[in-house]
Amino acid sequence: MTDRRRIQGPEMSVPPLGMGEEDSQGLPGQDSAPVVIGKDGLRNDGRLPEAPRPMFLRTGLVTQASGSAFLECGRIKAVAAVYGPRQEKRQYFTGAETGRLYCEFKFSTFSGRVRRGHQRDALEKEYSQFMQQALAPAIHLDLLPKSAIDIYVQILEEDGSAAALAAAITVASTALADAGIEMLDMVTGCAVGYVDGQVLVDCTAKEAAAAQGELVLSRMPSMGDYTHIHHAGSVEYDLVMQAVEVSGDTCAKIHGVVNKALLAPKEE
Amino acid sequence: MPSSLLSPVERDFIRSSILSGTRSDGRGPSDYRTPELVTCLIPQTDGSARCRLGDGTDVLVSVKAEVGSVDLSSGGDTGRVVCNVEASPSANQSFEGRGADELNNELTRALDRAIAGPQGGLDLKALCIVPGAHCWDIHVDALILDDGGNLMDALFMAVRAALCTSRIPATTTQDVGEGQVEFEVVDDVDQAKAIAGSKDLPLCVTVHQIGEGHVVDATPTEALCSSAQIHVSFNGSGQLCALQKGGSGPIEPSVLMSMMQTGREQAKKLLSWVDGELVRQEKLDKEQRRLGQAPTSQALF
Repeated sequence: MTDRRRIQGPEMSVPPLGMGEEDSQGLPGQDSAPVVIGKDGLRNDGRLPEAPRPMFLRTGLVTQASGSAFLECGRIKAVAAVYGPRQEKRQYFTGAETGRLYCEFKFSTFSGRVRRGHQRDALEKEYSQFMQQALAPAIHLDLLPKSAIDIYVQILEEDGSAAALAAAITVASTALADAGIEMLDMVTGCAVGYVDGQVLVDCTAKEAAAAQGELVLSRMPSMGDYTHIHHAGSVEYDLVMQAVEVSGDTCAKIHGVVNKALLAPKEE
Repeated sequence: MPSSLLSPVERDFIRSSILSGTRSDGRGPSDYRTPELVTCLIPQTDGSARCRLGDGTDVLVSVKAEVGSVDLSSGGDTGRVVCNVEASPSANQSFEGRGADELNNELTRALDRAIAGPQGGLDLKALCIVPGAHCWDIHVDALILDDGGNLMDALFMAVRAALCTSRIPATTTQDVGEGQVEFEVVDDVDQAKAIAGSKDLPLCVTVHQIGEGHVVDATPTEALCSSAQIHVSFNGSGQLCALQKGGSGPIEPSVLMSMMQTGREQAKKLLSWVDGELVRQEKLDKEQRRLGQAPTSQALF
């Protein structure tokens, strides 16, 4: 549902000319099944199946927030801002002995090829819930009674929704650390896709469209525990187990990037 | 979810009893309460089912097929499955107003993830009436009437039963030239056909992690003690269709593996139970028809 008074843009966004060959391939209406893994065993962008895209991560983007981080991974661009801990305004009878974590995950209206609404849709609400489940185990909420922490993640550009959730989890935990909130461990997320019985790490939107299913996993890399997992697509049980293992390893790799970003000297 | 409070003593009691292998209602950790499944109980729908678990959980599912226009961006030759779950405030007063929003969204998305795509097993191409123009929209609407724990599993059982017993009206198409195709929905009930692929629909099993142990089919009190749970959906051929973690606690990798294994075994048992129940009810129905008896009317309460 578009609110005509607020945004008077067109329903569909059209990429400007010359955005590269990669764009013209994924247009709807093309019949031929896309080739995801070439004969040389490499993917279209030259990556190995188990290789994630290079990741850029930096803290301190939003000046007004208690902590913030920006992540860029391929075409995905995500901003996370953490506010709090603040006093919990809503009085709950239960759960007051621990702090509360509120997450808001939002795709920008212009994040993808098809324009998204400015109101949160079912997917964004679900991803907000997933983020809350993924991050809460890592935060010392028991040290923050009667308080609340707010996390806002804005996806500026997306490349597959599962990869966006994984990026959101990673960038949000970096922002939490930047805010100086006590945590047990960082949380890193990873998305994988199943293509022809193979597990592809960190799928682009085009690869995800050709995949039989996707799995998103988030993990506390030092402790080893999984904090969130979800999977869709009918695949064999053993392949899912393999995907869990591969994505768990990738989460450990991403941990290195997060550490580096947090230890980097801040630019003034 | 019921927002009742649980004292630390009660929590300890439940945790230690699970570790010793007996739960407070006498079941073992992997014992399921016997579900109660009734189908075809709402005459104005194309298919319906109700699943009750234990003395609480009560889920009512209706299936209605409507003619819609195809989605051209995905090829234009497939039908659609649209899921919606609503928790009635009668189940829990906290569901009043917007109180159930989060639960509704969680259950709707979980159902969507498991059955609305190709992983659900339904033959979406068979739901297309006129390629590039019209298709069937299968609306799966679920109503949660009461919550006695383990809503997700009961929901999936009711959805499978409702879709397996649904009958979609037959259609005839006629080419009127110039690339135009007209279709007509046949009124004859006897020509209505089952939804192709409904036997491949997955069933969900929820496994709760409580302390160091894990249990299936948790009661609301047990759910309050659980730090995390996983919902696994398997279809008849043993493929994993959907998997999702719930709750805000971490799960160790080895524990996750054993929880998934428990879910896998339980799903196999549950699938054969639901299928057996559907066959039994169909047989009963056929027998009554043969004898010319009126079908036993299904009372809601």
